[in-house]
Amino acid sequence: MARKRQRPEAAPAELEMTPMIDVVFQLLVYFIVTIKPIDVITNLDVFRPAPDKNTPQDQKPPNLVRIGVYQDGYTVNDIPASPELLDQALGKVASIDAGQTIMITVSAVSEHGMLVKALDLCAKNGLKSLSVVSASN
Amino acid sequence: MRKQMPDAKMDMTPMIDIVFQLIIFFVVTVDMQNKALETSVRMAMAPNGPVEEVKDPRTIVVDVEADGTISIMRTPLGEGQLLAILKKAVNTSGQSTPVVIRGDLEAKHEVIKRVMDVCGKAGLWKLRFAALKEKA
Repeated sequence: MARKRQRPEAAPAELEMTPMIDVVFQLLVYFIVTIKPIDVITNLDVFRPAPDKNTPQDQKPPNLVRIGVYQDGYTVNDIPASPELLDQALGKVASIDAGQTIMITVSAVSEHGMLVKALDLCAKNGLKSLSVVSASN
Repeated sequence: MRKQMPDAKMDMTPMIDIVFQLIIFFVVTVDMQNKALETSVRMAMAPNGPVEEVKDPRTIVVDVEADGTISIMRTPLGEGQLLAILKKAVNTSGQSTPVVIRGDLEAKHEVIKRVMDVCGKAGLWKLRFAALKEKA
């Protein structure tokens, strides 16, 4: 009688979990250490000149670039300007002198978004010396 | 013959469960940090504004809502209270303490001006306006 040759039984397949868990921990630690929330907030620096009580009110404004922010639009040196025109004007100013002081006069009734837009355009053109003055009207 | 002891095996399932729980916890809490910025203030967009690399831990954030409510850490304040808080900040951390004004894009400049005036009264001169660099 021929004897059936018995096949050696395969060992039960077992998945070794330890290396996987090690790697998972390593990944976890790596992500916790390296993650940095994206900064979506920007800060627009402004300078606010203190009111000088000795200066007469009717004094001629000094020779600098004046931007007016009103409820319905902007002005550049008292000439009404759209945001695009304002951008162009600031670009020109920056190409001549990036250190030029920009005086931004803001009307009390204008919305804050208008001022932020003007400050953003200044930042876009690399102008950093900004003075924000609040108008009473 | 001696009876053989069964192989000591560690059950890995609970451990893996915990690891996954940890991952989920950290992913969710990291997202929460961004949510902390959420207020009823809708900030204006300033895509060209600079991003502050080094954050001053002394920074005071003053929120100005569209209806003119002034608040710090979601606590509405009157001008007198704001002045008292800012003066205290000046006493503890000096006049160079930065103030970030987080104004709603529809807030009237009049209210922002009041906040700036109070800062001036308290002796704080480092003023900044917060805006959104990109849509969050």
